[in-house]
Amino acid sequence: MSSAQLEIQLIASIVAVACAIPGTFLVLRKMAMISDAISHSILPGIVVGFFITQDLNSPLLILLAALTGVITVALVERIQKTGLVKEDTAIGLVFPVLFSIGVIMIAKNANDVHLDIDAVLLGELAFAPFDRLTVGGTDIGPKSLWVIGTILLITIALLIAFFKELKVSTFDAGLSASLGFSPIIIHYGLMTVASVTTVGAFDAVGAILVVALMIAPAACAYLLTTDLKKMLGLAIFFGVFSAIAGYWVAHWLDASIAGSITTTLGVVFFIIYLFAPSKGLIAVTYREKQQRIEVSLLTFLLHLKNHSEERERHVNHLNEHINWQKVRSKTVLDLALKNNMILINNSIVSLTEKGDAFTSQAINYIVTNEDAQIEDMKEDFFLFRG
Amino acid sequence: MDDNMKESNASTAFAVKVDDLTVAYNYKPVLWDIDLEIPEGVLMAIVGPNGAGKSTLIKAILGILKPIAGSVSIYGKPYKKQRSLVAYVPQKGSVDWDFPTIALDVVMMGTYGSLGWIKRPGAKEKKAALEALEKVGMLPFKNRQISQLSGGQQQRIFLARALVQDASIYFMDEPFQGVDATTEIAIINILKELRKEGKTVVVVHHDLQTVPEYFDWVTFLNVKKIATGPVKDIFNDDNLTKTYGINYKVSVQK
Repeated sequence: MSSAQLEIQLIASIVAVACAIPGTFLVLRKMAMISDAISHSILPGIVVGFFITQDLNSPLLILLAALTGVITVALVERIQKTGLVKEDTAIGLVFPVLFSIGVIMIAKNANDVHLDIDAVLLGELAFAPFDRLTVGGTDIGPKSLWVIGTILLITIALLIAFFKELKVSTFDAGLSASLGFSPIIIHYGLMTVASVTTVGAFDAVGAILVVALMIAPAACAYLLTTDLKKMLGLAIFFGVFSAIAGYWVAHWLDASIAGSITTTLGVVFFIIYLFAPSKGLIAVTYREKQQRIEVSLLTFLLHLKNHSEERERHVNHLNEHINWQKVRSKTVLDLALKNNMILINNSIVSLTEKGDAFTSQAINYIVTNEDAQIEDMKEDFFLFRG
Repeated sequence: MDDNMKESNASTAFAVKVDDLTVAYNYKPVLWDIDLEIPEGVLMAIVGPNGAGKSTLIKAILGILKPIAGSVSIYGKPYKKQRSLVAYVPQKGSVDWDFPTIALDVVMMGTYGSLGWIKRPGAKEKKAALEALEKVGMLPFKNRQISQLSGGQQQRIFLARALVQDASIYFMDEPFQGVDATTEIAIINILKELRKEGKTVVVVHHDLQTVPEYFDWVTFLNVKKIATGPVKDIFNDDNLTKTYGINYKVSVQK
């Protein structure tokens, strides 16, 4: 591995971490789309900044462009506040206008500005190691590494200092306001960090990947944990993993690095969406099936409790009167037998003592409207789940 | 209860004083020129039809909404200076219960106000939160993910979060909405206990039947204030009709 390759992976990883932190809060605040808006509408800010500084990595350019990002958020809220259109429409109105102003500015000054639309959308991570920062004649590494590294350090410092405030204002803005932590200040603080990160990462990975790196790792983490700190950690992990894996995919395919990283993120999300232990598609489907069988079991036990006459308790009665198909009746009977809740004598089903206790307690919870307790109760009674 | 009321009547200290308060959404007034004095130590219900501005009134008192006119004082000073004296329980539906956190952590949020910016909660805050959970009977659920709690349990968590603030005045927005009968009784007992400790409790309430049983003070609100005072004096058909517009017959049994 050459030092240029190492530097590219390092830059991509740091970008991923810097994006995952604000991204986690954007996902929890249901504001994922706003990062898309910011990433596009900072373009005019970058162009104007470039006119002034002639340097894509100048701090002034980053601040100017970040300001455009914050203006986007303010404009979206302004339009939304009129009550004439909803938030998604407001976002859709604001960022294309700002983005296209940037596009026109680049086109009109194509000769003076070393910027092109491809670079804006996809970034030029492969070229990042060639733009070096030199201090007093010594080479101290790629400029973009220093830029995004500084942004990451500031982001981490802010996260540690204001973690509590971010958490409470994200969970409950009303409480946050009444406690004296202005949700508006925290909101714009977060938007500023998101904008600065976007600009810092923009040069390296482009407008589209910035959005993917903010949202996809946080969305993956959201499916895997119920703890905010772990969610941040997992989002960072998935971001870095996809950045490095994506780089090597690009290397083998000889394709765009930004494109490969984004594709990897998509694949990672899809895998987690399928296999996440409690929120994943497979787990949810399995749980629904289990629920269905256990509800059937309870229905069947209630029926047994309500009827003492033999005719009603015959095994065949299940198919004929309760109207269940053979397979389902058999599953339910097997489950009840496995859990020692019923006895079958000459095809006549009767409740055991345990089955009777289970049913009585369940009825009690249903009547008193505490259905949620039934789930806990199952833990006490079931030897095997449905 | 009678002793308590005499005390509140005699004392001139008002826990909350609202003066000429007007709140508007998009220039349409939701609350119109409200004057309201809430004496210290009462357990007060705010009643009124949907859209009467009950929640808005609480939010305006707490500075969550900006009024277009009027002022609010808590023990004679503006709210901003008296934050530590006030606890707020928002409507349960106002937050996303899928937020990745556990019950204990939500209760800990109640301590953030006294900590101020940047400082983090420590062992002392954790102890207070655990005690509050114990008080509302939710200690066994302290590590439960909040989306795994029933509606009644979520409401108790919110109540615990307010208790942990150890305030003098408690504002609650429909704490009985969507909770089972057991939780309702548990909550009202805690509120009555707070009153016994001399705290002031203000509750947005929907169930008119239970007003005389639960509360000693009531405010009728429908965009304008209709009446405020002791339940036994003013909770009558006349005020109910004025508030709800239709002829109400919920006579109060003494």
